[in-house]
Amino acid sequence: MTVHSYYLPRSLPEALDLLADHGPSLLVMAGGTVVMPLINEGLSLPEAVMGLRRAGLDRLERTDGMLTIGATATLTQLLEQDAVPMLRDAARNTASWSIRNMGTVGGNLFTPPPGGDVAVALLALDATVTLASATARRDLPLADFYTGFMTDRLADDELLVEVRVPIPTAPTAYIKFGRKHANTPAVVTVAVRLAWDGGAVTDARIALGAVGPHPIRARDAERWLIGTTLGPDAIAAAASAAAKECEPFTDAIATDWYRRRMTGVFVARALEQLAPGAGGKGG
Amino acid sequence: MASTIVTFELGDDREVEVMVRPMTTLQTVLRNQLGLTATKEGCRQGGCGSCAVLVDGEPMLSCLLPVEDVAGRRVTTLESLTPTEGLHPIQQAFIDGYAFQCGYCTPGMVIVAAALLDHDSAPSVDDIRWALAGNICRCTGYGPIVEAIGAAAETIGAGQVEEPR
Amino acid sequence: MNDPLNVVGRSVERSDGIGHVTGRTVFASDHVVPGMLHLKMVRSPLHHARIRGIDTSDAERVPGFVRALTAADVPHNRYTILGLIGVEPEEEFVLAEERVRFKGEAMVAIVAETEEAAYEAVAKVHLDLEELPAVFDVEEALKPGAPVVTHWGNNTFMYEGHPCRRVRLGDVEAAFARADHIVEGVYDTSPIEHAPTETTGCIAVPEANGRYTVYTNTQALYFSLDNTSIILQVPGNQLHFVGGTVGGGFGGKVDVIVEPIATLAAMKTNRPVRYVYSRAEEMQVSSTRSAWRIYLKDGVTADGHIIARKVTSYADSGAYSRQTPYALTKHAANAAGPYAIPNVSIDAYCVYTNRQPTSAMRGFGVTMASFALEVQMDKIAELVGLDPWTIRFLNAYHDGDMKPHRKLAEDATLIETMQAAAALVGHDLAPDLKAMTSAPRGRRGEESGRP
Repeated sequence: MTVHSYYLPRSLPEALDLLADHGPSLLVMAGGTVVMPLINEGLSLPEAVMGLRRAGLDRLERTDGMLTIGATATLTQLLEQDAVPMLRDAARNTASWSIRNMGTVGGNLFTPPPGGDVAVALLALDATVTLASATARRDLPLADFYTGFMTDRLADDELLVEVRVPIPTAPTAYIKFGRKHANTPAVVTVAVRLAWDGGAVTDARIALGAVGPHPIRARDAERWLIGTTLGPDAIAAAASAAAKECEPFTDAIATDWYRRRMTGVFVARALEQLAPGAGGKGG
Repeated sequence: MASTIVTFELGDDREVEVMVRPMTTLQTVLRNQLGLTATKEGCRQGGCGSCAVLVDGEPMLSCLLPVEDVAGRRVTTLESLTPTEGLHPIQQAFIDGYAFQCGYCTPGMVIVAAALLDHDSAPSVDDIRWALAGNICRCTGYGPIVEAIGAAAETIGAGQVEEPR
Repeated sequence: MNDPLNVVGRSVERSDGIGHVTGRTVFASDHVVPGMLHLKMVRSPLHHARIRGIDTSDAERVPGFVRALTAADVPHNRYTILGLIGVEPEEEFVLAEERVRFKGEAMVAIVAETEEAAYEAVAKVHLDLEELPAVFDVEEALKPGAPVVTHWGNNTFMYEGHPCRRVRLGDVEAAFARADHIVEGVYDTSPIEHAPTETTGCIAVPEANGRYTVYTNTQALYFSLDNTSIILQVPGNQLHFVGGTVGGGFGGKVDVIVEPIATLAAMKTNRPVRYVYSRAEEMQVSSTRSAWRIYLKDGVTADGHIIARKVTSYADSGAYSRQTPYALTKHAANAAGPYAIPNVSIDAYCVYTNRQPTSAMRGFGVTMASFALEVQMDKIAELVGLDPWTIRFLNAYHDGDMKPHRKLAEDATLIETMQAAAALVGHDLAPDLKAMTSAPRGRRGEESGRP
């Protein structure tokens, strides 16, 4: 390695002190599933790296209607919890067994599109992220975290330490569409959470992955659903709105036009899972 | 930072001590320093699974693991799984079922299969395919591999064979 | 039976089985040689460019840097793999000279103490390139004024003075004139990457007796040894190539790409040198199956006989031809398909573009022809109102038929194969199709003595 120093801090304060000492030249790594390929290929030649695997940030805890997920909790840990079924679905749809044993929830938030299949679910669940520096700590809605392609509100002296998810009470829907059934980058990922009063939708969250510079909310589509009974017309309108407002790109997996079409298809399918009488899954 | 000394357990019966420059991967340590070349190198991206090993019994990709991260933990390679006499039931099942052609993906497949059968002694075909989703084979089309693992599960279940670890 | 040599009819364990399942089988890069140096390649970032300068001074200052090799260091830099079987001209370069012709072409070999040092040094080599227009499509490459890829001035491989392989039988134009239907189609296939799980690579080791041992995963050990001997201008008996187990070949490891430069590096440094492709190099630089474009024009009678077939094929050889000229020859011999067609014209072009060089892959030259031909057969069937089985039985070749490249068909079995396939899938063939045989046409219906 051209890497001169590899730090494995044993606590969050130790990690934050290292970050404060080194500044942004310190490459931070959790599970290594995004960073190590770049180092192995010679695309990234960092001098100092910090691994967070032993910093004690991997707890997963359910208390009072909230699931608290440490930043370095693995995707396998997420797969094994049963408090939030949508997060189980998201973990099951991410990568392979070995990668899930290594990759982390926090790391998934920084995985560039078409990755970030867990981040999409967290966005639909109104997750909050906790960012900490050596001197301060703050919370931020995940919906406000991303600012652009591979840019976000994490300051140079901060680490993401925790994600908090209010445990949903109504069924949710999560679909990842890829070219293979498993271990594949998404063509599009859709995560939906609705709030109901009687037979009417009172609030909606539709999060999309792989069709924007980061996981995005389909806010026009969400607005179409408010006050409806989630009948076929409402579903069609929302799906069409989602397809229009997303910002897909072309890569080796799929073209932008195909991603846009599949956004409409899979938003509709996710909503159909939650329609009255559908016997939709989730809880 | 100078080189450091990393200690970990290898298989059941061996403690290993290596001197490494920072962030040397477990894959490089196993292959280049310890002469344990059963663990293969196919992509160094985490995409092919040919470098799979078990860390405390769970499958991980050695190409993405700085060896410092396994300090104090138990690493199981295909060499560790192979008994000194005879073959592990999974290995025998692969031979009996012609579950390989070029042989390059075989170590990774056997490692993941061993972890699977440790978690689930009677996996369905879907369970097996699911577990192998991270292992690429370019030769066999996967069918014989899935069948061999199913056959191994039956052999282990029927004979109550103590799985060598 | 106690005869240990009698294995017919018995299941026998593969001789390499134990090695594969225990991981003891030794693949090329499982040879870990003490003191090994690592070779990484500086590659062209442009599709087509003139090389104005290469500056390795910053690379040389990287700790662990050992040596940089350029075209001037290679004793016989321009070669062609098939030169050993008389194919000309020599056209590919071990390291690029004057021009680069595809994105990813090898330009400077960097040898260093560690992989990381090699990567760092590669990143610090400065290239002065003058970009040239590039061409990426076979028909665009054949238009007047297209960028010229080769060093001899046009974009086709020359077959005995002709720009294509040509096959002629009968008179297609006269047959088209009397045909009831003309059926045309153009068929495009994509390049396909072999993507073996083991990447291409070798380790070249200087021996005490002055020879070089090269552990390699090539599929073509003698090709590699002999071409290395020519490129390095050393007698073949100075080279000891050790191969054996290939971690996935499929035709992708036949191109003699890594051994010559790794062996040269071992000679220049007197140390073992390892050169193994990264996954990105394997996918984006190593040769692929060629993309093909095939134009078919068939003259068909009202009752479904194909009386004329004109084939114009273009294989995208990429920047260098490698095995593709041979693929075209095979293609031309097979491009009318296993059918009895009395008038055939085939023009098959091996075309150079600025794409990744293409080469061998499973059935190369023929598999894409099958795709085009069989889709065409289905079109013909629909046009004349016959089902897909009948159209093929009707046109199938028999023993004794003249094939387009002037060879009599022997041991024709299309008819019997289709009968077996129909039985396997539970398709009931009409009695006359069930009764057909591949016997020569004069003796149809007679016992042919075949199973």
